[in-house]
Amino acid sequence: MQALLSFEQAPPLNAPLRFFLTAPLFGVIAGLLLLLEGEGVLLSRWSPSALALTHLLTLGFMLQIMIGALIQVLPVVAGANLKHPRFLAQLVHATLSLGALLLAAGFVFAINPALHAGAALLVFSVGFFLLSAIRALHGVPSSSPTIRGIKLALFGLFGTVLLGVFLLVALRQGTTFSLVALTELHAGWGLGAWSAVLLAAVAYVVVPMFQLTPGYPARPAWWFSIGMTGLLVLWSLAVWLDVDLLIRLAKGLLALSGMAFCALTLRLQSRRRRAKSDATSRYWKLGMISTFLALSMMLTAAISPALGGLEAWSFCFAVLLIAGGIFSFMIGMLYKIVPFLAWLHLQYLGKGQVTAPTMNKLLPDSAMQRQFYAHQCGIVLLFLAAVFPEWGARLAGLGLMLSLLWLEFNLLAVVRRYRNFASEIAGSLVPG
Amino acid sequence: MTHPKSANVLDARYLEPPEPFVKTMEMLATLKAGESMLLLLFREPHPLYRILLQDGYRYRTEMLDDGTFEILISR
Repeated sequence: MQALLSFEQAPPLNAPLRFFLTAPLFGVIAGLLLLLEGEGVLLSRWSPSALALTHLLTLGFMLQIMIGALIQVLPVVAGANLKHPRFLAQLVHATLSLGALLLAAGFVFAINPALHAGAALLVFSVGFFLLSAIRALHGVPSSSPTIRGIKLALFGLFGTVLLGVFLLVALRQGTTFSLVALTELHAGWGLGAWSAVLLAAVAYVVVPMFQLTPGYPARPAWWFSIGMTGLLVLWSLAVWLDVDLLIRLAKGLLALSGMAFCALTLRLQSRRRRAKSDATSRYWKLGMISTFLALSMMLTAAISPALGGLEAWSFCFAVLLIAGGIFSFMIGMLYKIVPFLAWLHLQYLGKGQVTAPTMNKLLPDSAMQRQFYAHQCGIVLLFLAAVFPEWGARLAGLGLMLSLLWLEFNLLAVVRRYRNFASEIAGSLVPG
Repeated sequence: MTHPKSANVLDARYLEPPEPFVKTMEMLATLKAGESMLLLLFREPHPLYRILLQDGYRYRTEMLDDGTFEILISR
């Protein structure tokens, strides 16, 4: 497995794990919010509870996992070594977690100081991570679509935070720009220029490696990250110049680019050489189909904007893209990364004398499969809640909580088994 | 399997980790001075690069249209 990760360059096990184990808890809090507040959360996407829910999911779950994963894989997929990974992980994790909680609390309870303190912590957290990542990538040539994608994704993250801060200032002091247009742009940068570009960059490596599919063809792989980032810049210019037709054009082209990526990945998956599908490939397949459906809604709304204005339409789109799409990719990856890291560290502890247990012993496929059913039920319930918030919202909150608690349980089981095996290995090593 | 770039070719594109790494190290061990090997993968093996440089090998990587990375390793 050294081909996947060289141990000397690997950060300590708890550096990425602290992010991976915290992320599902934010999803549980989001589910709890939906359970307690019910339909009120889903009546308008601009309601304080809806904004809190969105940020608990995007900052607390998604950003948490993406930063944790980047700390782990930057040396492997880009040959870029972060300085002091343990300290970086501790600081970024603490400020990101507290910042996301304060921001969400600030929205729900309308406490401005909490909102502003949360935002300040988040700016610090992301800013510190960005500077560390840029320093690690400095001098690393963009020799593959993955490295170029990661660099552009970091630019996307910068754009997202910048727009978030601008929105907060605009809410306080007013602006000549449309707040709706700015908020959509902020979401566009976060989901398109950051999340989609990063996921694609990582997919180029992990889909062929773990699912034994053919590789992504070079030309589209090189151009996807540039195209997505360029379209977000176009969208921003269009908001700046207040040209609605250009905004719709950028959104439509973004949707088409994302759909092409999903279709290509599904085609590669259909040609995989691994006979048996595992939890990760099932999660990724679901993610690709759900994202494709979400993006076809985005394309339709770009053509007929009246649809995009409907609350139910926006919530259905968000459920398919975030819960069905991005969450599925991330959980699928967690199910590969967490057992693998535990295995790798056990292998190291064995010092060549004791062989580490297989990854299946650290997390059996059946445990992941059962949680996958809960995840699918959660998506269906969220989708129903988007259409029928009156009776569906609380049930969907419960579904979200259950699915992510189960994920947390599975991940903690890996940690427990890791500890047991580690003490067994320590006991059977020959001294000296 | 031979290739215009090298007589020693390891096509590791559809092998599961850690096989590509293990087989590369095995093939490297059989190379005589002045010989080379060509490794085919769908990714750039950055951890392997570090080991190659540490052990005094040179490598040159080219990405093909189908997403294959051809890594020519020589000592």
